[in-house]
Order: sequence, then C-alpha cells, then structure tokens
Amino acid sequence: MTDRAKAGISPEPEAAALPARAHTLRQLLKRRTFIIGATGLILIVLIALFAPFLSPHDPLKQELANSLAPPFWAEGGSFDHPLGTDTLGRDVASRLMYGARNSLVIAFFAVLLASVLGLAAGLSAGFSRGWWDSVLMRFGDIQLAFPFILLAITILGILPDRNAVTLILVIGIPTWILYARVVRSRVLVERDKDYVLGAKAIGASRMRQMGRYILPSVWTAVLVIAMLDFGYVILLESTLSFLGFGLTPPTPSWGSILAEGKRNLLNAPWLAILPGLAIMVTVLAINLTADGAADVLDPKLKISVFRRLPQRKPTNGSLTDPESEDAGSTRPEPADPKDEVEPPTLLKVCDLSVEFPLEDKVVKAVRHVSFDVHRGRTLGIVGESGSGKSVSASSIIQLIEPPGRVTSGEILFEGRDLTRISNDDMTQLRGTKIGMIYQNPTSSLNPVLSIGSQMVETIRLHLKGSPAEARDIASRALLKVGIGNPQAILSQFPFQLSGGMNQRVMIALAMHTQPDLLIADEPSSALDVTTQAVVLERLREITREHQTSLILITHDIALVAEFADEILVMYAGQVCEVGPIRSVIDEARHPYTRALLQSVPRAEIESGTRLQAIPGELPDPAALPPGCPFADRCVSVMDICRQVNPSQVRVGPHHDVACHLWSSNKNEEKV
Amino acid sequence: MLRYTVFRTAQMVVVVFGVVTLVFFILRFASGDPARMMNPPGQPEDIVQLTREKIGTDKPLMVQYWNYVFGLARGDLGKSFHGGQPVLNELLKVFPNTAMLAVTTILFSSTVALILGIGAALRANGAFDRLVLVYVAVALATPSFWLGIVLVLIFAITLDWLPAIDMEGPKSFVLPVITLSVMLTPVLIRTIRQSFLETLSDDHIRAARARGIPERRVILVHGLKVAALPLVTLIGLQLGMILAGSYVVEYIFNWPGIGKLTLDAVAGRNFPMIQGGVLVAALAFVIVNFIVDLIYAALDPRIRMSAK
Repeated sequence: MTDRAKAGISPEPEAAALPARAHTLRQLLKRRTFIIGATGLILIVLIALFAPFLSPHDPLKQELANSLAPPFWAEGGSFDHPLGTDTLGRDVASRLMYGARNSLVIAFFAVLLASVLGLAAGLSAGFSRGWWDSVLMRFGDIQLAFPFILLAITILGILPDRNAVTLILVIGIPTWILYARVVRSRVLVERDKDYVLGAKAIGASRMRQMGRYILPSVWTAVLVIAMLDFGYVILLESTLSFLGFGLTPPTPSWGSILAEGKRNLLNAPWLAILPGLAIMVTVLAINLTADGAADVLDPKLKISVFRRLPQRKPTNGSLTDPESEDAGSTRPEPADPKDEVEPPTLLKVCDLSVEFPLEDKVVKAVRHVSFDVHRGRTLGIVGESGSGKSVSASSIIQLIEPPGRVTSGEILFEGRDLTRISNDDMTQLRGTKIGMIYQNPTSSLNPVLSIGSQMVETIRLHLKGSPAEARDIASRALLKVGIGNPQAILSQFPFQLSGGMNQRVMIALAMHTQPDLLIADEPSSALDVTTQAVVLERLREITREHQTSLILITHDIALVAEFADEILVMYAGQVCEVGPIRSVIDEARHPYTRALLQSVPRAEIESGTRLQAIPGELPDPAALPPGCPFADRCVSVMDICRQVNPSQVRVGPHHDVACHLWSSNKNEEKV
Repeated sequence: MLRYTVFRTAQMVVVVFGVVTLVFFILRFASGDPARMMNPPGQPEDIVQLTREKIGTDKPLMVQYWNYVFGLARGDLGKSFHGGQPVLNELLKVFPNTAMLAVTTILFSSTVALILGIGAALRANGAFDRLVLVYVAVALATPSFWLGIVLVLIFAITLDWLPAIDMEGPKSFVLPVITLSVMLTPVLIRTIRQSFLETLSDDHIRAARARGIPERRVILVHGLKVAALPLVTLIGLQLGMILAGSYVVEYIFNWPGIGKLTLDAVAGRNFPMIQGGVLVAALAFVIVNFIVDLIYAALDPRIRMSAK
C-alpha cells in the first residue's frame, strides 16, 4: 500500500458516494466470470424449478423393456429418451432434472442453516466476549481439529432411512464454524469503532447496536462465504449419494445416478458421465459467481482468484509514448559556461517520465524530470509522498513497481543509458556500481534468512571468495557502520534486531562493494529520532570515505539542508526547483519550496512563530490539471498558472525553477 | 517448547477421545440393531439375542462404553462383529496402503502445485496464469468420484494402459493418485500463487534485486523460502480432505485401505471396525498436524525463536 501511495496512486474513490446498490450491481456486471457464472446458475435453477414441466417423463416411471437405452446421439438412441434410460428403464434426462432439484434444495438449506448458526454464534461470541466467546471458539477449534466429513459419512451410513432433512442437518451443522470465525472477527473490529461506541453512548440497546450497526458490515462476508460453501456442499451431497449415503432410493439424485453408472460402466458409460458433467457445470457456475461477487462485495476476504491484477511488465526497456508530452515541460537549459566548475557528472537523468497504466486510467508518477548527480556529491530529492521522488529513484536502478514503466527520457550512468541496457547488464550494475537503501530496513531483509547468510550471499556474488572469506568481509563491513559485535549480529535474524541496527546492516550490504552511486530512499524515516541521526552520520562518513555519490530521498527538507550539496524539489511528478543547496535554501524561488521551508521548525525562527502547514492536497496523478499542479495550493497563484504548466527557467548559477512568477519576467532575471 | 508440546498433546488426546466417544454413541443411538442385521430376516428373537450376546450389544450402554474405553487404554480396539478378528490387526494390515496412497498424493500434488503456482505468479495475468486459473476453477468443480470413474473408463477400459482396480504394483497408483490430486491441487495452487504474488511485492525481494542478486536466485531462494511456508500448514489441514477423498478413491478403485475398510464396516454395521477406522483417521489427522507445526517452526525462525 505504501508503495502505491508512493507511486502517486490514489485509493479508489469511496464507493459510498454512489447509491450503494446500483454501484455494486454495476461493479458485478463488469466481471466476466460473474456474468458467465450467474447466467449458468440462473439457467440451472430455472431447469430445477420447472423440472415437472420440462422433463419428458416421470423420473420414477420404470420401463423395464427399455432399460439402458442409449442417448440420442449414440446408435439406437431416440429423442423419446434424449439422454437414455437407466437399468430400470427410467428416463435419465428427467432424473437429472429432478436430481438438480434435490441437490440444489438440500445444498441451499444446508448452507442457510450453517450461515444462520454461524452468524448467531459469531455475533454473540464477538459481542459478549467473556466465557461464552471462549467456549464457542474452543469448541470450534476442536471441531476444526478433525475432518468432520468423515464423521458425516459414518453418521449417514448407519442411518436406516435418510431424507432431505437428515442430509441438511448432517451437512449443514458442521460448517457453522467457518461463518462464526469470520463474523466474530468482524464484530470485534466493528464494535470498537466510533460510530458503534457513539450508538452505545446514546443508549442504543445491544440488539439495536447489533442489528443496525454491526450486521450491515458482516452480512457481505457471510454471503460470500455462503456462496463458496454452496458449491462445496453440492459436491459433498453428490459424493454422499454416490457412496450410497444420500437420499434413500428411488429419489433421484446426481450422485446415485452416477453410482448406478459405475456399475454399468462397460455397457452404458453415459450413465456415469452425464450426471458428473451436470455436477461439474453447476459447481463451476456457483464458484464463478461467488468468485466475482467476493471481489466486489467483500474484497477484504481476499478470496477471489480471477481478480484482474495490475499488468506485470518487464521493468527494463523504455516505451516512448508521443502523446504523453506535456505542454509546459522542457529540458533545463544547457549549462551556462560562466557557471562555476563542478565535479564530473556521474549520473544524468534527462526528461524522465514514468507512468502506471491502471485498469481505467494512467497515473503519471514522474513527468519530464531532469537532474544530474556529480561524483562524490550528495543530491537531496525532497517532496511529499506521491511527488514521484521514490519512483524516480526506482527508475534509476530499473526496479519500478509493476505496472510502472518509463515512457520517455534517458538515464545516463557513466555514459550508458540505463533505460536501454539489458536485464543482465543492469543486474551486474546493481549492488556493484549502484547501491540502494530503502525506507523499511527490517522488511527489506529476508525474514527467514539470517543476517550472515544474506550478507555472505551478496558478498560472494560481487567479490567471489569462499564463505569464510565472505563472512570476514561481512564482519568488517558491519564494524564500519558502527556495529560493535558483528559475529553475534551475523547469526541473528532481522526480526531480532532494531530498525536502526537493520538499517546499518543494509548500509553495510550496499557499501561493501564501494559503489559509485548510493540511492537512499527515506533511509531514516522509519527510525526514531536519535537513531536517525546516528544512521545518517554513518551514511555520510562512509560515502565520503569512498567518494560515493549519494541520492538522498526524503520528505524532510531540513535533513537535505544539512546533508546535501544539491537539492531537487519535486511536486506531483515534476521538478519545482533545483539547484545548489545554499542557493535554494537561502533564496527559494518556488512558492512550494518556500512553503516547505516554512513548515520546518528551525532554531532561527523565534519561538512563538507558528509552524506553517501547507493547506490542500496533491492533485490526483491520474487527472492532472492542465496548468501548474501546485496552483490550487499556491499563495501566489495567478490566472496563467491554471492554464499553462510552467517550464523551468534559470534564476541563478545552476539554480532552476518552474514557476510563472519567474518565467513572466524571465528576461530580466537571466543575468 | 516443552509447555507447547504438553499443551498440544493434551489437545490431541481431547480431540481424539471426543471423536471416538461421539462415534460410539452415534452408532448406538442412530443405527438399527446390528445383531438383527447379521441374521436373515424372520429369524426368531432368541437366536438374534444369542448374536447380541456374542457381539456384546446386549449389555447396558454405559457398560459397553466403559469396556470400550478400558480396552482402548490397553490398546485393545475390540473384535470385529463379523468373524471376530481383532480390529487392531485388521487396521494395521490396511493402514500402510492408505498411508502410501496419501504420501504419494501429497508429494505429487505439492510438486505440481509448486510448479504451477510459482509459474502462474511469475507471469500473473499472462497466458500461463490464465490457463492455471482455468484448471483451478474446473478442478475445484470436478467431483472426484466422477473423475475416478472417467479415468478408469479412458485409461483402463478404452486404452487398457493402466489397471482399473485393486492394488498391484506401482502402475495401480497412477489413477488413484491423479484422482486425489485433482481434488487437492486447486487449493494448493491458489495458496501458492497468492502467497508468491504477495511475497514478490515484499520489500525484501525488491531489496534483494537492488543488491544485484540474479532473478533466478531471488525467486527460488528468497521468494520460495518465504512463500512456501503456507504450503506446509495447508498440507496438514488438507489431510482431512485427503482422508475423506481416500474413502471415495478406495471405494472406486477397490483399494484395500482404511477408507474401504470403514465403508464396508458402515455397510455391515460392524461397530468396532467403524470405531477403529474413525480412530485411525482422527489420530492421523492430529499427529500429522502436530508434525506440520513442528516443521513450520523449523522453517520459520520467527516462530522457532519465539517458542524457545
């Protein structure tokens, strides 16, 4: 989720905005699996319902003279008995239709029984907590600790007479626990939510709280489970009938027709095949319906498998999309020869655009961004979440989350365009020439491998050498990042270490090959304040020592002011302002940069000055305004800002800004 | 760890004891009189009474129950109503056949599910993924007893490649194992695919790629180690399904295992044999799940460390 947020993908618009029922129905009808399933299911139900009118014969009428007649397509078959007859000369088509009736009715009531029992148990357990909850749930545990179907077979097997009611009871009762568990956990979540507490505070009775406030949030879950259970129960019922434990003969059921088919497999194979197909088609229709409905009604259950996933595309290789040209963007002007001499450029990003094509929209996460990273220098990239800073960094190392892709621009690293090199070459560069550190150190390490094995793996990959040598290098690398007892740490697992410790491990992992470029994506945001300072200090020391260029990505402009040589301010996927750190901090030109600086608590600001939060929100990255994306939040907004996206203009040595405030009097500014 | 083992053992005993008790009373209450069934219809009451005395159903219910539990404690599962052989011997005779079938099925299904599940997850929404999902949907809807019969029809009767029934040699495993696997694999594939998809978007996978670890290693070492964990638990939970499925499969393929033994016993109201069959199923289920939990802990250091 955080990655999606980082990529600038806004959550789905709240469904509540639309009339709920019409919305759900429309969502359902968009799903092909649901349409196919539901259509099939409706047909089957209609056939079962109208079996007395549709069936060509009485399902129980015997015609011993005409036993085992073949279906119409086989030799000797006729349309009088379109699907043939069984050993007693009963019409198979009619028996299948009546069998559908019995199967559906039994399954329906078994599921109804189970869901009502489960709902009642789950609601009461979740609501009362206490002893009743414990008793019910322990009982459920014990029941789950034994496959109940085996018991069902035994019970039904020994009953001298079985009717629909016995089957419904034996099949239905054992599954209550499936429903009860889900309902109970939902109740536990809902009952402490504000609106329920509010209702309680104004004196709503328990029943009322349950009925009015909690039931609506659990019924979709129950419905989805019931639909999935329905298919399973039909299979179960037919299995029992097949074994001879279903409805007492001669009542037709799919399983018992099949059992008869088994006994006549050689001379009447259709007798076994047809009812199986009927069961299969029915269960398939039910499951497809349930699957489609699960996704729409209760996505939290995460049951659906046919849900469309975002398209996965190879991350390498750029796609050029001529239509994505934005009106106002240009590359920065060529460097002015009068500018002061800078160290050689290590990384040159030109006109980079990254898009995330989603189901019904395209999120433009990065738009025509250009910047340089110089050898041995630190570039700070600042912006809110969703500004495109992390996506820019991921595109350098060519690990954009799918379905994101580079749609324009180039990324020149030591003269090679990283958007065009092969996967293998890129893998070679990662970890050796370009290192990367992420925001969440603990989750960035494999949870089931020890620190040592992960370090040894990486070190041996890049530097070769024996495991013992690699372990040696690993412990030295750990010492360098300030870990005093490397041997002990190496044998531990990430979950045993603190976030700060893990981040040091990550730094050691990234730096042992002395890469030319290190990208640190919010390296300290997940750590507490004191650890932050220590980790950043280590990062600074170690990059200085190896003359490593650093890209420091953060939302904290104060951090950049302290650590970086250059700064790049990003907003809604675009560059707002870029330049040498002193120039930008002291003479910020872009209203957004200024607002960021004002939102930072600083020692210089006398106490009493209120911190300024920036009002408003980032624009929707899938529906960007034609003008400047910051216009809505800008204090100095002008008419032109809403129409034309400003291009970058030079306002000082290497200092560029994309803002109409400066482009209108461009000529005077350009010294 | 010791506390955990004691707790789990106690839980297992409760479950197994509860199940056998339940079955004992259900059999006595819900079933007709087995002695009458064992005699031809119209047999005089005094002869049926003799049968009752022979098999012990003439005694009061609680006495029967006490004898049963007391026997269990000494490892005596009673004697078959038909023929009087000790139930334990009969169970031990057929148990290996079911166990072999189950183990082969688990190995085969997990291998297939791993390959299909990982393949599908790696190219989610691709042609292969779609194909796998179609298989999952169809297999989930296929009645296993029907599939068994269709397989026999095709491979044993029409093509005459494989034996239709009975257990004789490795070839006779093919059809039963496939039948059980079609029942088992959809759930396994879905779980592996889902768990792999989730793992592939984990931070540590991205970080491993960023360190330059080759894609093949990222998937087969870093991904698999994490994503395969749910499979272990799932197989334990699915054992119930395998056992239930083996009832059906053993019935269709005339496989001399626990399932067939129990079904035959149910048909003949052979109470001690039914109780024995259910007892074996219950024991197998709880013990395997205990072992599965231990394996899980061994594979996942997060659990292993917290248990210490």
